[in-house]
Amino acid sequence: MKLSIRAGLGVALAAALSLGLTACGGDSPSDDPTGGADSASIVVATETIDHLTPGNHYSAYIAILSLFTPLTSLTQDEQLEYQQAESVTSDDGITWTIKLRSGWTFHNGEPVTSDSYIDSWNYLAYGPNAWVNSGQLRGVVGFDEMQGDNPTTKTLSGLNKVDDLTFTVQLKTADRQFPFQLSDGQTGLYPLPKAAFEDLEAYDQFPIGNGPFQMATAWTSDSSDIVVKAYPDYKGTKPALEQITFRPYQDTNTAYTDVLAGNIDVAAVASGKNAIAQQELGDRLHTLDAPGVDLLGFNPNDPRFADVRVRQAFSMAIDRAAINQAIFSNSQIPATSLTSSSMPGDPAGVCGRYCEFDPAGAKALLAEAGGLTGQVVLLYVGGWGQEDLFQAYANQLRQNLELDVVATPATDFAEFQERLQSGDYALNRARWGALYPSQQDTLHSLYTAAGDGNFAAGGYHNDEVDALLAQADAADTIEASFAIYRQVQERILADFPVIPTFGNRYLWACSERIDQVPSAAGTVYFARLTLK
Amino acid sequence: MARPAPAQRTRRSGGQRLRRDWTFVGPAVLIGLLLVVALVPGFFAGLFGHGDPRVCDLYSSQLGPSAGHPFGFDLQGCDVWANVIYGTQSSIAVGLMATAISGVIAVVLGTLAGFNGGWADWLISRLTEVFLGFPFLLAAIVVLNSIGQRTVFTVAAVLGLFGWPTMARLVRASVRQVRSLDYVLAARTMGLGVWRIVTRYVLANGLTPVLILATISIGTVIVAESSLTYLGVGLAPPAISWGLQIADGSRYFQTAPHMIVFPSLFLSLTVLSIIMLGEALRAAFDPKRLQ
Repeated sequence: MKLSIRAGLGVALAAALSLGLTACGGDSPSDDPTGGADSASIVVATETIDHLTPGNHYSAYIAILSLFTPLTSLTQDEQLEYQQAESVTSDDGITWTIKLRSGWTFHNGEPVTSDSYIDSWNYLAYGPNAWVNSGQLRGVVGFDEMQGDNPTTKTLSGLNKVDDLTFTVQLKTADRQFPFQLSDGQTGLYPLPKAAFEDLEAYDQFPIGNGPFQMATAWTSDSSDIVVKAYPDYKGTKPALEQITFRPYQDTNTAYTDVLAGNIDVAAVASGKNAIAQQELGDRLHTLDAPGVDLLGFNPNDPRFADVRVRQAFSMAIDRAAINQAIFSNSQIPATSLTSSSMPGDPAGVCGRYCEFDPAGAKALLAEAGGLTGQVVLLYVGGWGQEDLFQAYANQLRQNLELDVVATPATDFAEFQERLQSGDYALNRARWGALYPSQQDTLHSLYTAAGDGNFAAGGYHNDEVDALLAQADAADTIEASFAIYRQVQERILADFPVIPTFGNRYLWACSERIDQVPSAAGTVYFARLTLK
Repeated sequence: MARPAPAQRTRRSGGQRLRRDWTFVGPAVLIGLLLVVALVPGFFAGLFGHGDPRVCDLYSSQLGPSAGHPFGFDLQGCDVWANVIYGTQSSIAVGLMATAISGVIAVVLGTLAGFNGGWADWLISRLTEVFLGFPFLLAAIVVLNSIGQRTVFTVAAVLGLFGWPTMARLVRASVRQVRSLDYVLAARTMGLGVWRIVTRYVLANGLTPVLILATISIGTVIVAESSLTYLGVGLAPPAISWGLQIADGSRYFQTAPHMIVFPSLFLSLTVLSIIMLGEALRAAFDPKRLQ
């Protein structure tokens, strides 16, 4: 999942809560499009849901976020905010003490205790269970011993219960970003009640969480609606909505049309559709900042790109502002660093002149590096609505560097990965949607050898970068870490392994009833959504 | 040896009729023009001063017609006129190549079946039926999907490979009809070789209906190419084709209708002229009208 590499729509991604509020326009409240009597009930389009168990899903963020409450999240101005946790503290950055709020319960009335967390994290980390989000516990002591076919232990040795509401987590290395890892996007770290382990299959259809909403009826098939209703005993901030129906759509265009027709209330919009959506929806189209970045990677085995100046020249030959205007109608953010501008501590401008459009400089730099011959293939994934974007990249590189550049789609993501492995390309699309709002996630995942997205960055790694990252992770304060993450980015960009292109923003189409659209890292945060 | 009289009379009177018929002359002139355009697109594309279809400026994205750019700009900021002109080349190339491929297959198989009869006829007729059983577009989609690199040649080859059965049937029928005519019998009696009989007497007199059908099928193939390209299994960028332009334009129909209108106009005009030409030919050489 980490999923980097999925295109476009933000539905799959969430990180922390940047509670940016945007107001919906329109004056007159319209009739309830669901036709129900309950006016505080909305219908939301989702992509097809695979699982509802937070530790074992790829595509259910939007629904799971409403059913569970994370330990921490982020406020509007990117400050850490405790949710289920009362505090998360550490003296050395290695041993963390997590204190839970008392009196909170799961939807079945079971109290949320340190055992809820320890049991579910043990289950998640145990290799043979093969839950897809288990990597979220990778940094905890004992994780490695639980991998493989026949691990000797079923418990994470780094977890220790202090009392019913307190437990400690021991990390492999000092990591001050740990509290951020406990926020919304890392759904694997959500607590499960005891009932879950009695029948995991039933739980996947009727998850019992600790969040503001509870399941109204069981979810029976991946094409059926998921209906959640407000949990009356919720101890956190009460949601304004009474009920949400998550309706799976195969095709985002159909969902969009249904919003236009007033059949549903909220749907994600592909970034390429921005111009038309703006025209048709006006201020009912919401653009939410997301902690994802678009990149172009290089084929590490293509000797033509061995010289850093060639890679820099390619970056300088791309007019990000023009592409943003023509293809995205200015909905995305031209990149000036390796992280999105909404990422806390983003060192904007660290890429310097190499991320600025300068066709003459690019050509001179390419010539200085000895030029380049032969065809340059830009590989992307077909069917994800990125044809225009890659055609634009190809046109610009071709015209500004006077090279033979073609954009070639792989038929699907599987073929894309195959071609990355076989080396049948020159540049590849890459993207990383951070799971929590710290540069740590993006930088580790893409630019270290163990990272989940490292293949998309051409397998880049550098010992100096690793050392700097460890230093940044261990920095005593957030501010201190920002300064070192900046050095990490500078060091990586000195090697220029990728071309940073755009910081992401997700587009959402809303019906006329929606008033405020709060964002959870680009995804709509339904617990705080309000109606007119 | 004199040419057989009936065929000669047919051809002459058909030709005379055609020269006076505007339904033939009109399309013929238009197709002639399109052929010239396909041969030297550079000249026509440059008529308004901005002839390179690959010079694109994103800041002109989706702008409407302006001086020097009579058809406006597409999403990538490329000149639509130049792209439509260059698109003529691939559409006509695919049309001609695919029809030539299917024509050759049809003539060879149809003649084998029609002239020899017997087991060859049985085998080829069954094969024809098998191929006719595949829906043409579906078959093309399946095959094109499994081809990695799709160029004008591969698309033409695939369309050609699935386009021959109807023509082969027609060839077979007209060869069968001609082979028992007196002049063929006379040629046989005189001891001429099979090759000479087939090329000189049978095909020369039996091919007219096939040529007419082939003309119409050029139009069908161009439409098929555009449809397949629109569906994403035909030509792919950097190829320049009407199908691609229509596919791009359809997504921006609401904001920039000119992106889809102009390539569609060229596509329909081309196909219409080809089919009208075929119809005019068919009418002119229709044996019933000659009596």
